Amino acid sequence: MTKIKSLLSFLLLAFAAFTFNACKEDDPTPDPVVSTTISNLAADPSTGFDPNTGAPIGTTGKFALFSFKTGAAVANTDSATNKWDLGFRGTTIIVNSPTSGPGTSVVQIVSGIFDELNDGPTDGYKSDDKNATVKYAIPTGSGNGWYTATGGAPGTPTIIKPIAGKIIVVKTADNRYAKMEILSYYKDAPSSPTGNEPARYYSFRYVYQPNDTKSFK
Amino acid sequence: MPIFATVILDNLSIKYFLSALLLVPMYVFGQAPIVEDSLQTKQLEELIVTATRNERTMGALPMPVFLVPKMQIKSMGSLRLNDVLTEQTGLVIVPQVNGQGNGIQLQGFNPDYTLILIDGEPIIGRYTGSLELSRITVGNIKQIEIVKGPSSSLYGSDALAGVINIITDRPQAGMNGNFSSRYGTNNTVDLSGDISLTKNKLGVYVFANRYSTDGYDLSPENFGMTVSPFANQTFTTKVTYKLGSKTDLSVAGRHFNENQRFNFEVTSTNEQIKTSGLGEVNDWNINPVLTHRFSDKFKVIGRFYSTYYQTETNLNLDTDGSAYYHDDFKQSFYRPELNAEYFFDDKNIVTMGAGHVGESVQSARYDDIIVRSQWTNYGFTQYEWLPMEKLSIIAGGRFDHNSIYGSQFSPKFSTRFEINKRASLKLSMGRGFKSPDFRQLYNNFTNAAAGGYSVFGTEVFKDRFYDLVAQGQIPNDYSAVIREKLQPERSLAINAGGKVELLPSLNLDLNGFYNSINNLIETQAVALTTSGQSIYTYRNINRAFTTGIESNLSYPFTKYFTGSVGYQLLYAKDKNVAEAVKSGDVYYRDPNTLVTKRLQPGEYYGLYNRSRNTGNIKIFYKHPVTKWEASARVIYRGKYGVGDIRGNIQGEAIPPSDRNSNSILDVHDDFVKAYALVNLSVAKSLNCGLRFQVGVDNLLNYTEPIYIPNLPGRLIYGSVSYNFSKNNVKP
Repeated sequence: MTKIKSLLSFLLLAFAAFTFNACKEDDPTPDPVVSTTISNLAADPSTGFDPNTGAPIGTTGKFALFSFKTGAAVANTDSATNKWDLGFRGTTIIVNSPTSGPGTSVVQIVSGIFDELNDGPTDGYKSDDKNATVKYAIPTGSGNGWYTATGGAPGTPTIIKPIAGKIIVVKTADNRYAKMEILSYYKDAPSSPTGNEPARYYSFRYVYQPNDTKSFK
Repeated sequence: MPIFATVILDNLSIKYFLSALLLVPMYVFGQAPIVEDSLQTKQLEELIVTATRNERTMGALPMPVFLVPKMQIKSMGSLRLNDVLTEQTGLVIVPQVNGQGNGIQLQGFNPDYTLILIDGEPIIGRYTGSLELSRITVGNIKQIEIVKGPSSSLYGSDALAGVINIITDRPQAGMNGNFSSRYGTNNTVDLSGDISLTKNKLGVYVFANRYSTDGYDLSPENFGMTVSPFANQTFTTKVTYKLGSKTDLSVAGRHFNENQRFNFEVTSTNEQIKTSGLGEVNDWNINPVLTHRFSDKFKVIGRFYSTYYQTETNLNLDTDGSAYYHDDFKQSFYRPELNAEYFFDDKNIVTMGAGHVGESVQSARYDDIIVRSQWTNYGFTQYEWLPMEKLSIIAGGRFDHNSIYGSQFSPKFSTRFEINKRASLKLSMGRGFKSPDFRQLYNNFTNAAAGGYSVFGTEVFKDRFYDLVAQGQIPNDYSAVIREKLQPERSLAINAGGKVELLPSLNLDLNGFYNSINNLIETQAVALTTSGQSIYTYRNINRAFTTGIESNLSYPFTKYFTGSVGYQLLYAKDKNVAEAVKSGDVYYRDPNTLVTKRLQPGEYYGLYNRSRNTGNIKIFYKHPVTKWEASARVIYRGKYGVGDIRGNIQGEAIPPSDRNSNSILDVHDDFVKAYALVNLSVAKSLNCGLRFQVGVDNLLNYTEPIYIPNLPGRLIYGSVSYNFSKNNVKP
């Protein structure tokens, strides 16, 4: 797992934070928010396929857990804690909320351009609910949530592509906001995936607001 | 080749001649026979029947109509209907829904939106959506009439984009016959023969065709062939009989049979299973027509068309020959109709008609043993008015009532104004509709492998859904789901254009069109079962438009040479997407930088499989004394995009054009490259009735195995035909 700091957006955001601060002198000085890109978060990838059944082998069935606060993966042994926000396994993304974890994180998908989303929405957040008709706050299935699945005719692979303009906004258990955009589902984010590349490797970028504000500036 | 030909003729089998006798009862052709002069003189008055349901001079019609005469078809060396249509301006041959076979795209509509008729009667068997055009031989075609723009006002469902009516040969005066054989690349053999006999009151026309090919393989590295070997036979007959001075009877019959053997590799849970298969198609139709002229002014035509189509496919395992897959589809259709034409005078003509259609289908494809039926009652009327010498108006409408989707009214209004002898204007407005197809009505699919979601056609839906309700599997309130009815897809269209003689004999034909289409049918999830599985059915969701300009320029630049240039500009877009783009709600992700941007208006390219630019350049040469003929034609299709069709060609995936993660076609996506086909032919006729022709289609050998599997490479052919005529009595 590597972190790439986007220097430009850092400077822009720092500048925005500075001007914002200049107007409201009473507010405590917020730390500047930064845009971070995570590459190749392994979401339970398979090591190969069973030559007889075609089923993936080597998968554990466990979710790769991620915390926006630390900006790092959380060991799966901590799944029963509040330490993580989102969990990734294949195309399914869970949020640390009732029926998926012990936490109270909520999430929603908004349409737009990542850099233009200045504030998290006031309401409209959802938790996972296994008993609801839509089980996950980030719905599964092609075109329903964050991805489309194309191809998949007999003998040909399915290609998973994150839908352009879908931003996942997370409100964490301690009332902090993060926005994220998924960029790729394949290892090293190939520009034109054919579906044959190692899959279940997420690349995404996110902005975490460590202060008590919805603003992502 | 002649030896081979004889063998095949023997194989043509007694069966067909027997069925000929069975089908032959009687046939008298409806209208007064047009005197068809020998080929030397140019037909001055080109008559067309499709636009008004009665014979009218083509040039005077107020809607866009086109005609492909037999002479041109012969000169092009065409064999099947798709060969002819692909060279006409504004008609684009596109692969069918399943990626194989041919369909026709007209004014940007998918193939199933154009009604295809033989002698005014619909051809059935659109079981994958569109009609396989190669089912139709051109050997007995007298002319092909193409009416663009909706014609539901006369023909009802499916005539949204237009109507293609194939007019076949009829008994000629005296005794005539024609035999032809053609041999070409891929061991393609085509044999045709017809005999026409008229004696006193009786006229008989018999036609037989056999076509066989070894097929071709565009990707030999893969198992199976792109097009596997197949052979088909067509047998038609027409008998005309004059019952009296004012009454004619005609009976036309047709039988088509096709067999195809193929090898196919099936992928089942990562295992490659080699299979071989056999596919068979059969269709029959019979059409008795009785015409009675009560007076010079009043004519009534009664007809009873019935037709049956059946196709069956079986796949067997190569390992032990056991059955692996079976698919069949049967469709029947009958239509009695009464049609009257009344001339108040030369300037006021009324046409009225009424009829009934009964239709049924049965298919293993729908996992449904029930024969599903529907019927339609309809009536139409049309008024042709010529208030002034220079102005003509046609107004009409048709009312259809269907047992499934209810009533439809389709009006149409057309007018033509002659500015002077060299220029005229045309305007035509009308509604078109298309009834839901079989899949949308009868699909019955539950995907056990992918968790148990279901897709039900609307007719099956009621039964299956009530089953689920009775089993307590539907937790939500479902009353709204049940109430919603499926409507036909509807269009409103305008065609406006004109014709102008720029220089003596240099004619420019222009037509602009706009089609607004509503109620487009798509699948939609309408309910969830208690176990969380979606139930899909079909709903009227989408809206689209197609608009463009078509132009034809023709010029006989010497006595023997005629040149023409055709061009179509087309924009076809999903209205919902176009509006979303306009309001800035559509994005794309640059696949290289992974940066998401907003799609700008103008960057949305439109619907898949539509080329913005298509065109053709043709030169025909004909010398009446030396009897040499030649033609050179260039057919161009501009770039276009392909959607995610989830298909494969010989096991290879067909990559969709969208590469920037927004599921629509925009200027940043990949396109199928533009291409041009060059076709050449030369022919020489002798006075004894023999005619020799050689030609090459797709001279540059252009192929695109993945995206255009229905385009074979270069085809070289030679043909010999013999024509005899004992034409003692001039009609």
